[in-house]
Amino acid sequence: MSTSSSNPVRDKLTAVRERAKQAVTPIWRAFIDAVRPARQAQIRATRSVGARLPFSVSAPYLFLAPFFILFSSFLAFPILYTLYLSFHTYQGIGNATLFWIDLGPIQFELTRIAQLEYVGLQNYQRLLGDALFQNALANTTFILLVQVPLMIVLGLALALALNASWMRFKGLFRTTIALPVAANLVAYATVFLLLLQDNGLVNTVFQMLGLPTVPWLSGGTALIPGPLKSVLGTGFWPRISLVGAVTWRWTGYNMIILLAGLQSIPQQLYEAAEIDGASRWEKFRYVTLPQLRPVLLFVVVTSTIGTFRLFSEPLIISEGGAPLSATRTLVVYIYNIAFQQFQLGYASAMTVVLVGIVAVLSIVQLRIGGESDA
Amino acid sequence: MRKQTRDEAIWRFLGYTFVLLVTLLMVVPIYWIIVASTLPEQAFLSAGTDIQLFPGSNFFANLEALQARESVDFIQSIWNSVFIAIVYTLLSLVLCSMGGFAFAKYEFRFKEPIFYAILATLTLPIQLLVIPLFLLISQMGLTNSYWAIILPWAANPLGIFLMRQNMKQIPDALLESARIDGATEFQLYYRIALPTMKSSLAALAIVLFLFQWNLFLFPLVVLNQGKYTIPVAINELVGAQRVYYDQIMVAAALSIIPLFLVFLFLQRHFVSGILAGSVKE
Repeated sequence: MSTSSSNPVRDKLTAVRERAKQAVTPIWRAFIDAVRPARQAQIRATRSVGARLPFSVSAPYLFLAPFFILFSSFLAFPILYTLYLSFHTYQGIGNATLFWIDLGPIQFELTRIAQLEYVGLQNYQRLLGDALFQNALANTTFILLVQVPLMIVLGLALALALNASWMRFKGLFRTTIALPVAANLVAYATVFLLLLQDNGLVNTVFQMLGLPTVPWLSGGTALIPGPLKSVLGTGFWPRISLVGAVTWRWTGYNMIILLAGLQSIPQQLYEAAEIDGASRWEKFRYVTLPQLRPVLLFVVVTSTIGTFRLFSEPLIISEGGAPLSATRTLVVYIYNIAFQQFQLGYASAMTVVLVGIVAVLSIVQLRIGGESDA
Repeated sequence: MRKQTRDEAIWRFLGYTFVLLVTLLMVVPIYWIIVASTLPEQAFLSAGTDIQLFPGSNFFANLEALQARESVDFIQSIWNSVFIAIVYTLLSLVLCSMGGFAFAKYEFRFKEPIFYAILATLTLPIQLLVIPLFLLISQMGLTNSYWAIILPWAANPLGIFLMRQNMKQIPDALLESARIDGATEFQLYYRIALPTMKSSLAALAIVLFLFQWNLFLFPLVVLNQGKYTIPVAINELVGAQRVYYDQIMVAAALSIIPLFLVFLFLQRHFVSGILAGSVKE
């Protein structure tokens, strides 16, 4: 090895490496020795045919770590804290203002969290007798039952039309119909508020067309058929307005997802159905619907969750004069309790119940959607 | 044969009528925002049958009135929104794609329980986390900083779900052969997973951008004047004494532009990208 002495740089490097080896503490050394056989086994395993073991044991944890750290501190922790609060009652004393919000009908000031007293299931018991909670639940259910089917049937019909081979200007229609998603939340709610005033644009156009005007936001039982008056009540039109606004905003979004689903259906299936002499309806019923099921399921579940999250739209529309009891959704009510009445414990209990309802609904929908799988 | 073509013609007619009608309904409110932003307030507000339907010349006057407001600097708030949404989207894309890669392509302890726990939070109305989140953010000394609304949802559950679904499609054989060629695990992610996921990443980017762009309640709580995002700034115009509709309309018209640009750039990828996430396998 005369070459090693002829290169002083390499000599120096070797010396440094030797010293570094000796500097490794015995524990570290032992760890490396212990890990080496396992690691070599892994390398052999991954190289053998059909093996799908991860190459490095630590890699998945390293990949997941950044997500998980943020997830646990900003989502998991607040959720657990909400659960914890739901078994307590909160008394706000002291005068240090933590934050202050001005949101039209809701103005609040949250002071220092001072006293938490354990009350067991009291908050949950109170919920059973709360008429306002039941009213909010009924409103949310009404919106859910009208809005989700309406939006999905509309989205599906649009997707089918825009997927037809004879349709022209597909890109243009698609972009235009999806554009409302881009509208800013507060802005679009305000615009609907303007459009739906008693003397707003919608009623103006109705008048021009010789149609009766509708109390969109102000409520009332106008135009509701006699026998239904007592069932639907004065809150009917404001609720319909809310449904309309939300449908306007999200139909295009759902349409795009459904369109993507339609485009993924293999064309051969339709060709085969055609050879079998299937009618238009039969092709839709026996090819399109079953193939589209996972996408439809995704849309139904996300829309349901979205409906339960409704907050800003009912607030802003109510500000326009609609009776709050007609459009008060669960989230709005929880906010009333939390920030107008400072009952954080009770609000947390309602949150837990709300999340439970949404979770159960999602599971039911997934079950129904999955079970009928042929 | 003849009946079939007539049938076809009827379907086409119905299809076009339906699509055109819906398109019209979708456009009217947006058109109305733009028209109203160019009119003096009294011309579009409560005008009954004399309502004006075409653009006027008052746009810059309205904009000036908007800019003259001391409580809100609207141009600044557009910049705030754009900056926050972009940083948020990039950060969240990195976190979600890395996490999704781990879930799709590795086996590890508690993988399933962790994944389902993350998925379960999708059902949660995020507005309800405002109280504990605010306490946390102020403990960290982050109130009135951009980070206050970038960090809390950077670990986006929907994002990691979509990424996991999509990355499952990367063939294991591809990763194996890269490993044999000496690629590190990070290189697998960076050199193989990311480039093949371009359209999914673009779709997720739209979803994340929209989400951040529309966040309203939490920014309202943690941000102060100067750091306001667009929704908060617009809400500020809905004053306690009087609602300034003309200024709101200008603000709304301006606020549509950035999102429209994002849409135009990424829309091509949107359909194919969303698809992979919503379909099993």
